[in-house]
Amino acid sequence: MSRVNIIILIAFVGLLVWVFLFGPEKVSQIQRAFQSGFGPVITGANKVEDAVTEFGEDSMTGAELREQLETAEVERDRLRLEVLNLDELVEENNALRRALNYVERSPLKLVPARVISRKPSNWYNTLVIDKGHNAAIAPDSPVIVPLGERAGLVGKVSEVVGDDSSIVILLSDEVCQVSARIEGTTEQGILIGQRGALSTMPDLKLKYLSKHAVAPPGRLVITSGAGGLFPENLLLGRVKSFEPGPINGEAVVEAAINFDVLRNVFVILPEPSDSARELGVPGLTATPSGPDPETDPDSEGEEGPDEPDEEP
Amino acid sequence: MKYFLLVVVTLVLSFVGQEFVPAVEWAYFARLLLVQTTFFCAAITVPYPVMLFLAAVTGFFWDARYHIPVYYEGSNHAELDFGFTIFLYGLMGSLIQGLRPLFRRGRWEMPVFLIGVCTFLSLVIQYLVLSFHRGDLYLSTEMWFQMLMTSLFSMAAAPLILLLLSRLAKWSGYQIKLEGITAKFRYGNPI
Repeated sequence: MSRVNIIILIAFVGLLVWVFLFGPEKVSQIQRAFQSGFGPVITGANKVEDAVTEFGEDSMTGAELREQLETAEVERDRLRLEVLNLDELVEENNALRRALNYVERSPLKLVPARVISRKPSNWYNTLVIDKGHNAAIAPDSPVIVPLGERAGLVGKVSEVVGDDSSIVILLSDEVCQVSARIEGTTEQGILIGQRGALSTMPDLKLKYLSKHAVAPPGRLVITSGAGGLFPENLLLGRVKSFEPGPINGEAVVEAAINFDVLRNVFVILPEPSDSARELGVPGLTATPSGPDPETDPDSEGEEGPDEPDEEP
Repeated sequence: MKYFLLVVVTLVLSFVGQEFVPAVEWAYFARLLLVQTTFFCAAITVPYPVMLFLAAVTGFFWDARYHIPVYYEGSNHAELDFGFTIFLYGLMGSLIQGLRPLFRRGRWEMPVFLIGVCTFLSLVIQYLVLSFHRGDLYLSTEMWFQMLMTSLFSMAAAPLILLLLSRLAKWSGYQIKLEGITAKFRYGNPI
């Protein structure tokens, strides 16, 4: 090997070590800079993908679109009225909770976001959404969608890569582990997805259940709220089968959400606000939060008997 | 020099092209890694120092675009750390350089096969590192199939990219092939 090659090789190794020493903040800065410079290409590619996906789908006539719009407007008005009613119920509920020194509940702060890219990674089941720093999205924020009368968990924000983009790790990935319980029972476990991005709809595994757990097929699996990262009662899936082991039991769970067809999602922000009421997403009007010391100075550091341990 | 600049431009264009490459559902979402294949093809046509430079630049930009920062407990370094692609490209580029003399004699078969092997190896290394961080090794048929298909896609695209690079070389006056000895060379009978 010539001397020049050796010098260049040493320089390459030095560069490699330098790059490996980058901290998360530096990496984030680099990715943000690249994202902003390369943004138009990414947007263009996503538009092409959308166009290809929609090609061949039945296009609607003007009359059909008008009819659909009218139906949507009627539904929107109905939901507005429902939310008004729910607001009153939440206030009444909070008044009763204050009276009993329970932790007050307040609506989630939700940010609507659109999926702009799917599966950009080889190894992780991810989505890219069109909300980032500008919308105050933070890493680990839960991402949800309405599922009928409930809300379903999509995953969590892995990284905010730009002013208008964030990466979401899906529930179907092994990295996104969720504390879950089987509805109607006290059985709790950890819901884990698959390793690698081999499928968008893999079966999930609910691990660390007791070996005598009651987990009949079809029973709903929901978030338990333990750990504080995800709000409780978000829908995760349905039990497909249960396998008791020597120490623990493990259930196979079918995901409630089809991750392949997601277009619009909601990101839950840490700060509670009135956004949930404005958005009118059913099943998302309340989540636990800490007591207000101004309105309830006596309740500081105290929790009601029924409140989970992880609540602040 | 002109050729090296053209290679850099080709790599930049491959980044643009990569955005438009879809994942193939029946192959467990395998996809053509256009940037990686272009780099491997370029690596065989340039001298070793230039290959290292291309590995550093391409790996850096790949991570800037596709790196997913998943951190394991108690560390501020991701499972697949930022810069890992530079290491992989440097390593695989060095392997590919071993076949450069053969390529310069006008033989494309082995280099194309090696590009497929290097694609497969780089995926296996990434998966092993990821498994190491998670504490267990889970190998499935689907995983092997996905990696194999990704390698086959690379092998299918490699001749086209090599053809493009040889055209660029000819246009820019850069000599990839050792002219005049191509016809005489046969396997087992080197000049």
